[in-house]
Amino acid sequence: MATVATTPRLRIDWAHRGGVTDHSAVAPPTEIAPRAITIAEPAFLLFVVAEAPGGVLTRHDRQAIGAARLLDGGGAAAVVVLAAGPVSDAGAAGADLTMTLEIEGYEPEFAAAKIATLVRLHAPRHVLFVESEDGGDLARRVASLLDEPLFDRVESLSARLAVRPAAAGRVEWHALPPRLISIAPDMIAPYHGLPHASSELVASEVTRPETGLADAGVVSADAADIPLDQAGLVLAAGNGVVDFPMFLRLARALGATPGASRVACDAGHLPRAMQVGASGTLLNANCYIALGISGAPQHLQGIGSVEHVVAVNTDLHAAIIARAELAIIADAHAVMRALLARLGQSP
Amino acid sequence: MKILVLLSAGRHFASGAPRPVPVELQAIALGRALVDDQGGSVSGLHAGRVDPSVADALGHGLDDITVLCIGAEDDPLPALAAEIMACAPDLVLAGRRGLGGSDSGLLPYRLARSCARPIAADAVSIAPQGERIGVVQFLPGGRRRRVELKIPAVVTVHEAAPPARNFVYRARLAGTIEEKPGAGAPAAWMAIEARPYRARPRLIGEGGMGGSAEERLRAATETRSVGGRLMVHPEADAAAAAILDCVAGFRPASR
Repeated sequence: MATVATTPRLRIDWAHRGGVTDHSAVAPPTEIAPRAITIAEPAFLLFVVAEAPGGVLTRHDRQAIGAARLLDGGGAAAVVVLAAGPVSDAGAAGADLTMTLEIEGYEPEFAAAKIATLVRLHAPRHVLFVESEDGGDLARRVASLLDEPLFDRVESLSARLAVRPAAAGRVEWHALPPRLISIAPDMIAPYHGLPHASSELVASEVTRPETGLADAGVVSADAADIPLDQAGLVLAAGNGVVDFPMFLRLARALGATPGASRVACDAGHLPRAMQVGASGTLLNANCYIALGISGAPQHLQGIGSVEHVVAVNTDLHAAIIARAELAIIADAHAVMRALLARLGQSP
Repeated sequence: MKILVLLSAGRHFASGAPRPVPVELQAIALGRALVDDQGGSVSGLHAGRVDPSVADALGHGLDDITVLCIGAEDDPLPALAAEIMACAPDLVLAGRRGLGGSDSGLLPYRLARSCARPIAADAVSIAPQGERIGVVQFLPGGRRRRVELKIPAVVTVHEAAPPARNFVYRARLAGTIEEKPGAGAPAAWMAIEARPYRARPRLIGEGGMGGSAEERLRAATETRSVGGRLMVHPEADAAAAAILDCVAGFRPASR
């Protein structure tokens, strides 16, 4: 007869979420600095046209580089990031080479001509764009210059299959990935592996095409007209605010988009479209100012992605005070009057 | 000012019924506002067959529609380019993307290239400036960019443009549809399999993936203390100064 095992049953904890593991089999961790992956002899090239405002890759740019890494044939290809200026963090995002287009300001025709020339010269297997307003515009300009089809808004990608929506979102097109691809936002994960050794490649000179398009500068839309989910700065009122005309004057003076908590909307003081929170709008703002809002969990979900929160509330123990970067325990109206006075307006 | 609006055969996203593409109706409204100001005409141009969705665009403010009859699978570019060269409009307007076909938004760019016209994307307003037009482009985050274009030009219109004009049945009846044979060319072939659309999960959070379901739930619902600055019963003016100091970097620059 077989003997009964005396040790506890071995469980393999694939996700490392705790539980019983057999530590005797695991070697002690050794301190190894993360090495950079170098692709010396790339089998082919992959271009990623990044927006990289200010030389820093956006979240969407990283997703496009992650998509390029899905097409690299198991590390055989080199991913080349093309951006208007030098990019600082391309290696960690998974890029092997960076190429500077040397574009200053808004010159989409010149940028498209440069990219088309580089594509003809280096013959990359795929060129990936980001499907944002400017990225999508550039992708279509390059596609029309190269006279090639563009597989835009790709939501799922592998070396054998690219998927994009079509026919008003009723069907999806499955095809072998063509050369020109644009990546839909927040659909393909960024690269999470070891950093790549990123070096700079000098782009060839391209003559400036004759342009019929002139940039006259970026302007801000009136903050009150911006949809709440696109606003950068939001000023919101809750149950602690009574004087709503003054609140709206302050929002206009600050250049902030007005928002509201559920209580203020339920009471009919502000329209439902202004509601911030789980049942209203989930904000993508950079900065949020909460006046007289205690911070119900549903409201805090609405400001989950906001980095800078300022709260004015009379209750020291309100949840929003813990969430705020700057918390002021005071009556909202006194602070609103002082803000209007500082902004040069009569309360 | 002679304005041509490109019309595509639109389909409703849920029912699949023919209907005009909303952003093309917004383009008609932008063109109509220019014409009411300056004088001129707003015509529609469609390549394909006479589609009920295209005919309905008459009721939203078009004077007339020209339909260039080409095969269903043909590339509409040569027919449209020939017609634009023939009638030489000052401004060609298009929606930024169709709804019902390939929906790639590439045709206005190919058309601009084949007609050698400048193109500006994502317009929310258009104003004439002599030999040029000023176009305000939509940018995310509440920003707008002002660009100037030499006319004749091609402009695509964004969904954030002013709303379309209401449907007027009398205008729908009064408008004329002219059918012409168009120069069809076979489209570039690409092996595509169409399947019913399946919505895929969007990435949430910075990493896009992380830990167990419990960790993701906690990240979505938990209030984390950021250990910020706390002012208890300060002078109102000091509080206002602290707030303005904190939000200074986020206020629009033009103010």
